[in-house]
Amino acid sequence: MSENTATQVVQEMELKEVGEAKTGSSPDEVVIALSPAFGDQMHRQTLTKIPHAAILRELFAGIEEEEVKARVIRVWRSSDLAAIGFDAAKLSGSGISIAIQSRGTTLIHQRDLVPLAPMELFPQAPSIDLSTYRHIARNAAQYAKGDHPSPVPQVNDPMARPKWQAIASVFHIRETEFVKPDEKPVELEVNFKK
Amino acid sequence: MSIIVGIDIGNSTTETAVARIEDDGSPEFLSSGTTMTTGIKGTVENIPGIVHVLEEATDSAGIAIEDLDLVLLNEATPVIGDVAMETVTETIVTESSMVGHNPGSPGGKGIGVGKTIHIRDLEDGERNGGPDEPVIVVVPREYDFEVAAGIIREAVEAGVEVQGGIIQGDDGVLISNRLPDPLPFVDEVAHVDKVPLDMLAAVEVAPKGHAVRQLSNPYGIATLFSLSPEETGHVIPIAKALVGLRSAVVIRTPAGDVQSKQIPAGSIKFMGEHQNLTVELERGAEAIMDTLAHVQPLSDVQGEAGTNVGGMIENVRQTMADVTEKPLADVNIHDVLAVDCLVPQQVVGGIADEFSIETATGLAIMVDTDRLLMERVAETLAEKIGVRVELGGVEANTAILGALTTPGIDVPVAIIDGGAGSTDGAELQKGKVVEHVHLAGAGNMVTLLIKNELGLERFDVAEQIKIYPLAKVESLFHIRHEDNGVQFFEEPLDPSLFARVVLVTDDGDLIPIESKHNLDRIKTVRQEAKRKVLLRNSIRVLERISPSGNIRFLDFVAIVGRFGLDFELPQMLMNELSNYGIVVGVANVRGELGPTNAVATGLIINYCQRQGEAK
Repeated sequence: MSENTATQVVQEMELKEVGEAKTGSSPDEVVIALSPAFGDQMHRQTLTKIPHAAILRELFAGIEEEEVKARVIRVWRSSDLAAIGFDAAKLSGSGISIAIQSRGTTLIHQRDLVPLAPMELFPQAPSIDLSTYRHIARNAAQYAKGDHPSPVPQVNDPMARPKWQAIASVFHIRETEFVKPDEKPVELEVNFKK
Repeated sequence: MSIIVGIDIGNSTTETAVARIEDDGSPEFLSSGTTMTTGIKGTVENIPGIVHVLEEATDSAGIAIEDLDLVLLNEATPVIGDVAMETVTETIVTESSMVGHNPGSPGGKGIGVGKTIHIRDLEDGERNGGPDEPVIVVVPREYDFEVAAGIIREAVEAGVEVQGGIIQGDDGVLISNRLPDPLPFVDEVAHVDKVPLDMLAAVEVAPKGHAVRQLSNPYGIATLFSLSPEETGHVIPIAKALVGLRSAVVIRTPAGDVQSKQIPAGSIKFMGEHQNLTVELERGAEAIMDTLAHVQPLSDVQGEAGTNVGGMIENVRQTMADVTEKPLADVNIHDVLAVDCLVPQQVVGGIADEFSIETATGLAIMVDTDRLLMERVAETLAEKIGVRVELGGVEANTAILGALTTPGIDVPVAIIDGGAGSTDGAELQKGKVVEHVHLAGAGNMVTLLIKNELGLERFDVAEQIKIYPLAKVESLFHIRHEDNGVQFFEEPLDPSLFARVVLVTDDGDLIPIESKHNLDRIKTVRQEAKRKVLLRNSIRVLERISPSGNIRFLDFVAIVGRFGLDFELPQMLMNELSNYGIVVGVANVRGELGPTNAVATGLIINYCQRQGEAK
């Protein structure tokens, strides 16, 4: 049993743009919105070297387990997580979105909220592991179904700031260079490679 | 002319009324105040609360504490109550013969029967042909869903008859979706390592919105396992434990069993003035209350030594002995209220951390105290504020005087004065001595029932459920109240309220309830708790104070104290008592204070009457 943990199943993926992201009409979908450099643009992994492909796979799994559908888009106009999540929530048929940045920071948003007040925010990217991503997706799917899950428990690491803040800032600055302010959000097709 | 204050120390609130006594002896009320009672009622720990409420009331009357001529305290309601709860049944699973729980998302649907096999052995077995009989696969968390689905798929393609699975992670749907034909998977089984291997097992997952049918039916289990009529008799507790669940596993092990057994909780001995009777706690509230009714008047109660109920009663007695500084033997229990309830309890020996609903009995117990105690409070208070302090009359009697300031009320009248600890009652007839009674069980008992029946961790959450109506947040812009009325909002609500059941406070604030229960369930539990304790006690009170013990002889009943503030209890009481042809309403003390402040107001009126008689 060498390949029985989730991290080892998927390392790579292919993201294919399939046109402008439309507003969804099915109430059983959660939109996963990627930041401009997520996946195939820059590093392909987070601050803590979790492959972006593995994260997307866990998000898909969490949503599928709740029998809800996932749709992936990329938001080009901003690298700001709240803006990405809010744009995506407005495109989501259920009004629920998950937004994720290259460094790993994540949130769950809802279209009726104000942009800077998401449903759940996971600000400390270094302390999010794959099982937490699965849980985040599960919660998002439950919100889409009109349930009220308990918020995903978060590890608060007081050393995360001194240890990661500088490199996280660099990550963000680099990511912001990929922003295309006038570009509309695009729909993505995801193919995992073993 | 003098200024006097009436103070009523209750189990949870301390109330005060300030009045100027005119030269003709009539009172003119200046102000009132309410604050939380500090410490146990009738102890010197009450002083900080008293001083606080005095300051508040004198401030709003525009005078200082030094300007007061006299402070009247209610004569120690001679009762202090306490509540406790004991479970009297439990469910025990031996040899891990059953899993029954409601995971958020079990996989597939249907029923599968086969021998339990570890996924590792299924994978190894594929190389040498695989098992030739139907199997139920057991998947621990280390197996990623895709890996697990791959192994199962290959096994199925190799001809192994996989019938279903028991999964540790939350992967049921994921694995089922990756198979050529969906199979039933029970997931989130925390202690999957305890599932016995190579045993015949049945897995059932019900469609959405349904509960398992086959495994909650003794004949269903008998059919799946080909049981003899005698063996079928033994699976009844299993079937019973699985009723109402979305997914279940039953494993046939040689000695495996599920027992629903009674915990020997002990017996209670009621000692009356005429006879003594003993009743077992597990016989339930009904039997306990019947026994109690037979021994009236009650002089003391004892719990069987060395049992749960013995410990519970002695605990209350000890607390009261400590508070009152009386010898333990002199603390007599004055009244008991027993209430049945159903509480969720973790199943002993369960492998998915299952809960089952067990029977429990709650007891409210009331202990006699004496006048000495209150005199000590009065003395200490007098020293502290430098004003003369007197004890001014039995609480129930002063309460009725206060209630009589309600516009449109007249004697003969009975009052129900309910608070946190006790339900009191008094009856006043023209030219006749006032009858009064104090019974165990009131608001705190309701809170305890709500807390246990809903399995809440915190007492204060249950307290809030008791006092505020419910609503469901249907979108971030609107809520639906428990009476189905819809309320819209201009601004989106806080995200933490999304889809939640909330409590609506008097100010319109929304408090989310952290629990899986839906609105209807919480509402039912709340109303049942009020019915079992408050309604029942109100009727017990009326039966005791009514001449000849028949409620029908009463005409007017006024509700005072915190009972009157409850948002639904007055209506519940009215519905119940209208059957007896009684007029029931909430008092409105002094025409403005509603049901509160009756005792404090009554203390002052009582004082004026006494002065008048003296002249």
